[in-house]
Amino acid sequence: MRFLRHLGAAAGVVAIVVVLGLAWAHFGSQTLAPGPQVRFHQEIVTGPGGKLPAGMSAGHGGKPGPGVIRVGRNGPTVVDSRPFDLGLGSMFNPVNLPYLRHTVVIEVGVIAAVVVVDVLRRRSRRSWRAQQLAAEVYRPDDEG
Amino acid sequence: MLYDRADPASRIGRRRRVAARTRLDFWFDAVLLLGYTLAYSYGFTGIAIHEWLGIGLGLALLLHLTLHWDWVIRETGKLLRPRGHDKLIWAVNLALLVGMTLCVASGIVISRVALPEVGINSLGGPFWERLHVLSAEVTLGLVPVHVALRWRWIVRVGRRLLPRRSGRGREPRATELQGPGPGEQG
Repeated sequence: MRFLRHLGAAAGVVAIVVVLGLAWAHFGSQTLAPGPQVRFHQEIVTGPGGKLPAGMSAGHGGKPGPGVIRVGRNGPTVVDSRPFDLGLGSMFNPVNLPYLRHTVVIEVGVIAAVVVVDVLRRRSRRSWRAQQLAAEVYRPDDEG
Repeated sequence: MLYDRADPASRIGRRRRVAARTRLDFWFDAVLLLGYTLAYSYGFTGIAIHEWLGIGLGLALLLHLTLHWDWVIRETGKLLRPRGHDKLIWAVNLALLVGMTLCVASGIVISRVALPEVGINSLGGPFWERLHVLSAEVTLGLVPVHVALRWRWIVRVGRRLLPRRSGRGREPRATELQGPGPGEQG
């Protein structure tokens, strides 16, 4: 019962954010739609029997199936996409591995940075406290 | 407190229960991080996995928020107290909640595989596509911060749950395992 209450509250908060997003789309969509693209790759969606643009290879089999060809800075990437095919072929395609590595590198880098800052912050706080404590404990009159 | 402080049996029961909860938190959050990493790597997974994983991640995040709802209530009530660390965590978590919700919601709206699969055509437009990309990039910055702000808890529980084979790691103690959850320590 307690779990359901918490679930309801969490779903309520999520619903509020979604409604705010819908309101943003309705009343202020121009604030986001125009303007420079945020590193958005060019995508070419191929249909069954579609033709690849010149200079691109379809990867396995040589025929372009229904799917997406993403053209990034490093050239095209074939992303398989069929209704009942989860595209595991593209997942285990070594050419697509840099995308995962890129994400992992960013995550690890940010985690490392935050951990270093946290360690330094705690260390400085500890030494400051030690100094405060020493100043309180030390009494020149006590020396004999 | 739901248990009787004077009753040792109930205290041990609570220890076991909290330890199980800590284990659940640790592994569930690890799976969430892995799922998020895969879902963000769109070029790696392909569009179908990206979309289904994103929908699953949305549900899992709702569960994650539910599991830590006590923390949300407690820390929201403490916002006026003069202590910085938890306020930072609270702000990061709120931003992450907004970013992740918008990311999943916009992803569902612009879906090209998952939504048509259930008979709904894509409702998206340039606004939703931009919102999806933008919120995804924001979450990529916030997820590691969210994880790293609890690095001590992760290391402490990880050491207990993933003991070294060399035997250098000592056996976990119930009192250590129960510890504060990821959203409970200061």
